[in-house]
Amino acid sequence: MPIYAPTLPPRAALNAGQPAWLVLARFDVRRILRQKLGRFFGFVFVFILAIRMGVLYVNHLLDTKAQLASVKDLAKEFLAQGASFQADCLPPWLLTVLWFQVAVVGGGLVARDTLHRVRPLMYAHPLRPLDYLGAKGLVAAGLPFLIQLPFVLLPWTASLLIAGLHGPIWPTAPLRLIPAALLISALMGAVTLGASSMASTPRAGFGWVLGIVLGSAALGGMVAGILGNPAWLAFSPGVLVTAWPELLCGVQAPKLGWVPALLGTGGHIAFWLWISARRTRPSEAVI
Amino acid sequence: MSGMIELQRASLRYGDILGLSPTTFSLPDGGGITGLLGPNGAGKSTLIQVLAGLLPPSGGEVRIFGEVPFRNPAVLGRIGLVPEGDRFPSGISALRWLRMMAQLSGLSGRGMDEALDRALRTVGMETRAHLAFSSMSKGMRQRIRLSQALLHQPGLLILDEPFNGLDPEARLELMAMLRGLARDGVRVLVSSHILGEVAQLTDRILLLFRGRLLAEGSVAEIRELLDRHPVELRVNADSGQAVARWAVEHGELVALRLENGGAVLSVRNPRSFLPKLQDAVVRGELPLRSLDPLDLNLDAVFQYLTTDHQ
Repeated sequence: MPIYAPTLPPRAALNAGQPAWLVLARFDVRRILRQKLGRFFGFVFVFILAIRMGVLYVNHLLDTKAQLASVKDLAKEFLAQGASFQADCLPPWLLTVLWFQVAVVGGGLVARDTLHRVRPLMYAHPLRPLDYLGAKGLVAAGLPFLIQLPFVLLPWTASLLIAGLHGPIWPTAPLRLIPAALLISALMGAVTLGASSMASTPRAGFGWVLGIVLGSAALGGMVAGILGNPAWLAFSPGVLVTAWPELLCGVQAPKLGWVPALLGTGGHIAFWLWISARRTRPSEAVI
Repeated sequence: MSGMIELQRASLRYGDILGLSPTTFSLPDGGGITGLLGPNGAGKSTLIQVLAGLLPPSGGEVRIFGEVPFRNPAVLGRIGLVPEGDRFPSGISALRWLRMMAQLSGLSGRGMDEALDRALRTVGMETRAHLAFSSMSKGMRQRIRLSQALLHQPGLLILDEPFNGLDPEARLELMAMLRGLARDGVRVLVSSHILGEVAQLTDRILLLFRGRLLAEGSVAEIRELLDRHPVELRVNADSGQAVARWAVEHGELVALRLENGGAVLSVRNPRSFLPKLQDAVVRGELPLRSLDPLDLNLDAVFQYLTTDHQ
């Protein structure tokens, strides 16, 4: 039986609570939800989602209402059906807004701890570096995934409710778009985590994310132009995230082929996770 | 090896730079306060990071509670660390932050609430923990920082420069808190480059300089090591000449300086000299009014030791 100093009560049982990675992830999520910026992006995404739902309903009306036959041909040009329409559930402009959002939120995930020098404190607790990285990675990738999910599931549900199995959204669309959203989220999460771990302030983290996305797009575009091979666009995470919905939905002329998309995505995820792991080691958490 | 802290030729390198030379010392189990002294860049924070399990030693062996601390949850759960600095996450209350820290220590539910309550009471912040960090004074933030280290009732509490930036009142309060914890059986390791404040607090010091452990022990013990450095004693007496005469006859004097109302004696071995002085006063041979050791304090010890190693 342990002997305690006379004035100290017995120690509470340790290791009885949640896993350390979950504690950290919950702390970060709660902090993000309290930020005003989150409300701004929430409004933007709800607005975009409302437009998507409106387009879907108009599309349905055009297909089913004889009175609208006169505008049908014209509308078809704007509302193309088929694989492109499915892939457009996660359109490039939505993903651009999402990049800004993850840059703002994800850019500060590790940088904020660096700025406030709380990482040494965390590592002085029974917290492994893998727990820390896992928690930050979960938030960095989980947030864009959760934002994309309604853009996949709501139009799909609405399409099924309005027009059944023959609606504008394929019944199998989530099977293609959810993996796309997962890949996009993993890529965005890895890039933002790497950028944030290199930055010393959240603002610098935001700058790093934008710098990586825009800089690699410029570099990839130049190399692709010089060599005449669009596969080099896979150097850009911005192009990669727009390529996955097209590839998985089977669009006829996607921006990137399967091989460059796989290599680019895998390479970016591996590289930025490596950077994050190195930069968040306990030895980097200087007191 | 046994004891709470055991270092056996533990060293740490940052690439080509030697942060901590091979260092050997041990601290016993049980409560007490140990001061870790040294100027900036002496290696105090490096040693703390090694002890707190943040860095593995490049060489040698470190054992805390009989185990290797680096990435060892069994050890980390028994150490409380209060790092230097005054930066906290913005926009959140201290209580929310403390809850997160408590959960990281593996506390939950009622046990966590009780631990929070106890730690906040210990530092006198139980009614103010709901405040945001931005609305707290520096002293309050330091108390919160200390409370996070006490949540899991550590056996070893490590504080890196805890008195930096605190006003005198807050310093005294923090010292009282640390003494209380030491009485309760917690081993407290306090680093500082301000010698006076550690001298008020500690029963044992470790003196670091340029990554080397120069000395270990109480202030008096360390002073004893310095045989070649004489101790200066100011003897206040009615006649300085009488004191000087007696000292020359009986003492192991290195130097002598007459002053108004007494004399300053530089003595090689105070342990043998002081009893002789005491006997002389009792016998009435010396018209002594008072005796002040001029350099038997940490500043003098520190100056002597570091001068030798420049």
